[in-house]
Amino acid sequence: MLKIIIPTIMLMPLTWLSKKNMIWINTTTYSLLISLISLSLLNQPSNNSLNFSLMFFSDPLSAPLLVLTTWLLPLMLMASQHHLSKEPLIRKKLYITMLTMLQTFLIMTFTATELISFYILFEATLVPTLIIITRWGNQTERLNAGLYFLFYTLMGSLPLLVALISIQNLTGSLNFLLIQYWNQALPDSWSNIFLWLACMMAFMVKMPLYGLHLWLPKAHVEAPIAGSMVLAAILLKLGGYGMLRITTMLNPQTSFMAYPFLMLSLWGMIMTSSICLRQTDLKSLIAYSSVSHMALVIVAVLIQTPWSYMGATALMIAHGLTSSMLFCLANSNYERTHSRTMILARGLQTLLPLMAAWWLLASLTNLALPPSINLIGELFVVMSSFSWSNITIILMGANITITALYSLYMLITTQRGKYTHHVNSIKPSFTRENALMALHMTPLLLLSLNPKIILGFTY
Amino acid sequence: MNPLIFTTILMTVLLGTMIVMTSSHWLMIWIGFEMNLLAIIPILMKKYNPRTMEASTKYFLTQATASMLLMMAIIINLMHSGQWTITKVFNPTASIIMTSALAMKLGLTPFHFWVPEVTQGISLTSGLILLTWQKLAPMSILYQISPSINLNILLTMAVLSILVGGWGGLNQTQLRKIMAYSSIAHMGWMTAVLVYNPTLTMLNMLIYIMMTLTMFMLFIHSSSTTTLSLSHTWNKTPLTTTLILITLLSMGGLPPLSGFMPKWMIIQELTKNSSIILPTLMAIMALLNLYFYMRLTYSTSLTMFPSTNNMKMKWQFETKRITLLPPLIVMSSLLLPLTPMLSILD
Repeated sequence: MLKIIIPTIMLMPLTWLSKKNMIWINTTTYSLLISLISLSLLNQPSNNSLNFSLMFFSDPLSAPLLVLTTWLLPLMLMASQHHLSKEPLIRKKLYITMLTMLQTFLIMTFTATELISFYILFEATLVPTLIIITRWGNQTERLNAGLYFLFYTLMGSLPLLVALISIQNLTGSLNFLLIQYWNQALPDSWSNIFLWLACMMAFMVKMPLYGLHLWLPKAHVEAPIAGSMVLAAILLKLGGYGMLRITTMLNPQTSFMAYPFLMLSLWGMIMTSSICLRQTDLKSLIAYSSVSHMALVIVAVLIQTPWSYMGATALMIAHGLTSSMLFCLANSNYERTHSRTMILARGLQTLLPLMAAWWLLASLTNLALPPSINLIGELFVVMSSFSWSNITIILMGANITITALYSLYMLITTQRGKYTHHVNSIKPSFTRENALMALHMTPLLLLSLNPKIILGFTY
Repeated sequence: MNPLIFTTILMTVLLGTMIVMTSSHWLMIWIGFEMNLLAIIPILMKKYNPRTMEASTKYFLTQATASMLLMMAIIINLMHSGQWTITKVFNPTASIIMTSALAMKLGLTPFHFWVPEVTQGISLTSGLILLTWQKLAPMSILYQISPSINLNILLTMAVLSILVGGWGGLNQTQLRKIMAYSSIAHMGWMTAVLVYNPTLTMLNMLIYIMMTLTMFMLFIHSSSTTTLSLSHTWNKTPLTTTLILITLLSMGGLPPLSGFMPKWMIIQELTKNSSIILPTLMAIMALLNLYFYMRLTYSTSLTMFPSTNNMKMKWQFETKRITLLPPLIVMSSLLLPLTPMLSILD
């Protein structure tokens, strides 16, 4: 695993020592190379995990997330080039350093074996994200957004620290390689109920669960493009990954403790999808759609069947790529009109036809069109929740319909119709932007040829 | 002040603390405390104006009261145990009085009221000595009597201190008061684990002193005592803003910085001793502290504070030379990976 971590850490000296006209080229190239190294991890033996050392391991669940993380860094760097072009050189280097630091922590989080090490790195990802949102965001609301983000996550995760330490005292070790072998059923008592709550709330806030999702629209909207991309694509998946890891230790309480959260998620996905239909702010629409998709993942993780785990993993990867691509598309609008209002930049298909093609593909994958991996994820989740309880099919069906509604609403508002008279002077699409969209879309389309690699460890 | 006299007085302060920390006779410990108190009054009053006089008087009154309470506890201990050697204090009355006296000296709730007012009235350098060096002597006595301290009283004082330190600092814009409330909260964390594992108290003291030293030196470097003047540092020395950001996040206890290490170790120790609700409450209340640190970072480093022409800028005097700032900054932010080395402390 060091073969990925050390080059990522070394991207920081690379940034600081590069010449002025080479910072973007150097960092993007080398981060692409690092992502190619991580692709080799996708070759997983069937039921076991690849253990690199006592501290790092890779598993059919964490390998696709790791590949997504490393794939996203060059894309983030490419997306940030335009809005940073006017800043002084040191600030550009600081921004890239923040992104690289975040990347290092994320890679270590996804491959950590010891759960307390996972916790420390999970918290450590908050600091660079907070700095990116607050320092480089564009509106005054970003201060509030940063505070909400930091404090919601910390309030949820401090009980997790106490819970992990008390589990370590009870069982002797928190190393994931050991726990999966000598796992015992958790006896039924009030304190174990609180232990379950303490373990899960951190990840529920991160996912986010519907009642605790208040930080997400703020943070996603106020962050600069790289911040939005990494938040939507990876940081939300940290919550899902943590839940998938920690529920192995929390049986059999999950069968009854999960009910309130299942209800909240099932209702919440309908609510947030409906809110999307009434949004005027493009980034806010994409943020609420993230909440809705993640609610599906929460439902899948809490049901705990093999098919639901496959659906959750596939949905996480698919949503990461789709959501990040939608944020890049919204950003390409924002850079031209400096406004996030959807109706101010409509009818773009006439002016930027190639970008319209990317908008179409992104919207289609967002509404889970076959044969994309979004569909595989959603379908598995719908089927497993139907087997858990027949009534959920109504809510799931309604959610799929409303998702289709708002995705098409977003597509039609921004692309179709007559263009407004004030957008006929926007710059045409840069090659960089088209490359960015292609690099998002190609893994999505290719994965639909072999979705086995993203189906996780219950395949 | 005449440098010779200043050196003598400073040496007396140091000597007083050393006597407290190394004595085995209770009377010598009391003498050490008194020597320390009397010698630090001129240091607190380095600038001669009514505010420092008021602050020094308040400090003198509270510390003298605490010393007298300590003397009474020593005498009760003498009466019941018949000897002057410092050991576990077996008599519960003496133990409670001694704990209250030392809490008064440290600034724990409910004896915390003097800390913000005294820290605000004195200069930054004197405030530095007050909040770091002066805590060493009472803490060493607490360490030595730790097996006999009444757990209920100590834990109540600790938890209330963390609460007061968090809530009190929320409404402050003066940097010295913010540091005072931060000191109250950190003292609370230190005394919470005193009965279970006093080594962690010492670890927390060490890291707290490093972080407070760093913060005060950064304030002295930019000669700022209010949030407003601190927000002008981006104009003078932009690097200082980054350092302030890192150190404040470390004081707030955010991983992966070294300020997280004492909190983590304390939570671990408390959990091992089967108290679960207490460390959870303490950790959540430490978030209040983090809030006002974040507010400081927002105005200092994460936003360009609009310093337009109609705001008074400070005169740029020659840059003060701050000793040992880089190593302090490194130590107060990057020590977390060295946590396994704590096993040498056993």
